[in-house]
Amino acid sequence: MCVLALAGLAGCKATAPGKFETGVLTFAKHHVFVGNKKEKNPLPDNHDTWNDGKEAFSHYCVACHGMDGQNTGVPFADRLSPPIPPLTSKDVQSYTDGQLKWILDYGIKPSGMPASKGILSDDDLWSIIVYIRHLPPAGSQGVPDIYTH
Amino acid sequence: MKMKYMLVPLLLIGAAFVPLKSNVRAQDSPRRIEITAKQFSFEPSEITVKKGEPVVLVIKSADVAHGLRFRDLNLNVKIDKGGTAELPFTPDKTGDFVGQCSVFCGSGHGGMKMTMHVVN
Repeated sequence: MCVLALAGLAGCKATAPGKFETGVLTFAKHHVFVGNKKEKNPLPDNHDTWNDGKEAFSHYCVACHGMDGQNTGVPFADRLSPPIPPLTSKDVQSYTDGQLKWILDYGIKPSGMPASKGILSDDDLWSIIVYIRHLPPAGSQGVPDIYTH
Repeated sequence: MKMKYMLVPLLLIGAAFVPLKSNVRAQDSPRRIEITAKQFSFEPSEITVKKGEPVVLVIKSADVAHGLRFRDLNLNVKIDKGGTAELPFTPDKTGDFVGQCSVFCGSGHGGMKMTMHVVN
């Protein structure tokens, strides 16, 4: 009983997942669980939309993803299980726009990625996707204000 | 004698500048529509306007800062916390247009919408 209890407690620690777990779940997310693969972004991929996306991203996405989408200044980014991926990573960028919209709408369980449908508008979310596709260089946007005081 | 002969031509010249009927109308004032923005709705949530008719949306925030954007009409205005803003425009196409709150105002921001019907 004690061994089982200890094993259970150890299993609750937010340690990084192993390669096998990461590989299986990455495949499953991309090919099975994350839907909306074919929907296209209705907003133009231009500077105005990018600016809108950057502004919408700043409402609360920056708390976990940093202002540059690459975790700059986020103290716990690698302390979650799974850790927060840089949004420039292949894992993220290989999703289609429609899949990214699905993730923003519904979140990802069991990660800490929340569901933003209804909190942010569709316009906000689609413009964030344009921002994600053209993220600024890592470290160029500074650290979120909440972590500097 | 000379005055009498000068008076008639002067009167005729002067009459030429008095229009029989004025063709100049005072420009019609734009129609003003008052809208209240509050977490998380616009009141009224639907309005109807006419194509080609100047309109001013007078939007008052009942609480925090809000915005109102009609993307398809290229219209956007921000309203300060507790403040009022005006959005003048003349619709140039008919249809049903959805306006969305464009300033993040809280957990229900994404669903804060209104509809503008533009008719002939």
